Amino acid sequence: MTTYIIRRLLILPVIVVGVTMLIFALLSMLTPYERASLYVSDVPKRQGSIEGIIEKYGLNDPVYVQYWHWMVGRKDPDTGEIRGGILRGELGFSQTLGGPVLEVLRRRLPATAELAVWAAVPMIGMGILLGVLSAVHHNRLVDQILRVFSIVGWSIPTFVFGLIVLMVFYAKLGWFPPGRLSNWASQVVQADGFRQYTHLHTLDALLNVRFDVFLDALRHLVLPITTLAYLNWAYLLRVTRSSMLDVLRQEYLVTARSKGLLERIVIMRHALPNALIPIITVGGLILVGLMNGVVITETIFNYPGMGSFLAQAALSLDAISVLGVTLFSSLILVLGNLVVDVFYGFVDPRIRLE
Amino acid sequence: MKKTMKRLLTNTTSLTGILLLLAFTVIAIAAPWLAPPPENARDPYMIPRDGFRTEPASPSAEHPLGTTEGQYDILYGVVWGTRTAFRIGVVITACTAIIGLTIGSVGAYYGGWIDDVLMRITEIFQAFPFLLAAITLTSVLQTIYGRGEAGPLMFLARLLAMVTFGSNPMKDVDPVQLQILTGMLAIIAFGWMTYARVIRGNIMVVREEEYALAARAIGVGDFRILTRHLLPNAVFPVLVIASMNTGAYVLTFAALSFLGLGAQRGYADWGQMINFARNWIPSLAQHWHIVTYPGLAIVLFVLAWNLVGDALRDILDPRMRGNGNGF
Repeated sequence: MTTYIIRRLLILPVIVVGVTMLIFALLSMLTPYERASLYVSDVPKRQGSIEGIIEKYGLNDPVYVQYWHWMVGRKDPDTGEIRGGILRGELGFSQTLGGPVLEVLRRRLPATAELAVWAAVPMIGMGILLGVLSAVHHNRLVDQILRVFSIVGWSIPTFVFGLIVLMVFYAKLGWFPPGRLSNWASQVVQADGFRQYTHLHTLDALLNVRFDVFLDALRHLVLPITTLAYLNWAYLLRVTRSSMLDVLRQEYLVTARSKGLLERIVIMRHALPNALIPIITVGGLILVGLMNGVVITETIFNYPGMGSFLAQAALSLDAISVLGVTLFSSLILVLGNLVVDVFYGFVDPRIRLE
Repeated sequence: MKKTMKRLLTNTTSLTGILLLLAFTVIAIAAPWLAPPPENARDPYMIPRDGFRTEPASPSAEHPLGTTEGQYDILYGVVWGTRTAFRIGVVITACTAIIGLTIGSVGAYYGGWIDDVLMRITEIFQAFPFLLAAITLTSVLQTIYGRGEAGPLMFLARLLAMVTFGSNPMKDVDPVQLQILTGMLAIIAFGWMTYARVIRGNIMVVREEEYALAARAIGVGDFRILTRHLLPNAVFPVLVIASMNTGAYVLTFAALSFLGLGAQRGYADWGQMINFARNWIPSLAQHWHIVTYPGLAIVLFVLAWNLVGDALRDILDPRMRGNGNGF
């Protein structure tokens, strides 16, 4: 077990360094002028002053020197202050939204986190439930309907799904509006009396005992959650179904049944826990799906999170912001995958022996 | 192979998929007759406009599927978009498969440090969320190509333009096509990893088989063993992934277009057409056709590839056999 974890941990730095190198490779395809926003917030338009900045921050230095400076920062020769350096958390300056990329991320992350946390439960719960249903009713009507649902669901682009739910539930029925909060609610949230502990509006509303705000925030979350979740239902259904089918063929289930256990107990207590092991491995993939889904979902629902920031920045060709967001999310992904792998090692003893 | 074809044609799932693909092929080939381009059109892929009014018009006799923002004809876009979808899907799939096959088979065959390095590189590329990476690379590439002089990258774009649009590689790439190519290049760059991993795993197993050892023992060269003895055994899994991935690539490109990073405004591309709908969200109930028709085209196209891929996997993966046929 320990060797397994140690081996995983040894590979981690290689991947992380590789990720930064790949991002930097993309950066170095930009001109020194375009790279200047790594170090200065407003890049001057005048030819003379930009030369000075390029000189000052060594944007024409050899690639490895620049990579080093990009990692640890570069000392401003005039003021002696260190600027840039992703290890110091400085990802450069966003031209789209103005301000340091990390600052924008910090402001936008709670919204995305709120969406992801709320989406996680219905997504995983429903996905597994549907998968179990499908496997238990193998090749019968329920299974066939669910398989069609899964393969069709897999073929619908997130933006088409999102626009169609908006068409029905917002444009037609007016139940669930886009955005993050209604005007009145965001005035309440911005007001002095309302303390934003976590910047997750639903949680803050509960902590401030404002149930009306809570309900309003939730009302805005329903459609984005559904959009994020449906994509993964199709996927989880598939994984759960096939792994459950494998387990259902095992002999120990025959034993369990022959003891006279109820079918429900055989399924829920004996089969499901073992069938869930492969589902943990797709945990990482679900995380990927969530991050990919967030870009489109937030854009459609006009939801001010990390994903819509990325889309906005990409459209205005703000490479520094885009690369910053991508670096940030791939690091989350790498860590997430590590957690999944280690957890997997704990749950499934067979893995440790490798 | 014959058996596989027979199974594909007798299975409801794959038959639906194959028929859908055939229908799309017919639409793509018959595009100039189904939706004839206006006489003075410079590029048939640019959707003709009927006036310049912003508000979409509902379906009518003149425009059977209505028009979208800016009076672009939806039927025309859906029909010619089929060609775009095929081009994008097939070219990306071919490129990613070739890259993945090369990396996976070289790694598996030589093993040792070569394999280690190649697999680490694969893992690094997999460390990026796919859509995010595609968006990022597209916007960086558009910045670079936007400068006009892109050096060796321009050569890459010309090569891809030749494969995708059949244009002359000696000439400059049309700017409209160039924007599509940036999206395709981005998807290709981050889309080859599944092939590499699957092929590597497969060859690792086959490499130790007796016939491969025998070939090596009688002094057959590396390249020959790889291409004549090992790769043919790995073809089927590649077919399955390719079929499933074609759908996924079309989806990703549609997403790029939807965000405004793929095809240019007015180009016959389904994702781009839905991009127009973003300005009409509050009145979508009235303008339902601007999402529904192009959306339906994407869903059916991707569904077709997924159905075929799904059935292929059931047929080619012996463990899945006897699991009922499709639905």
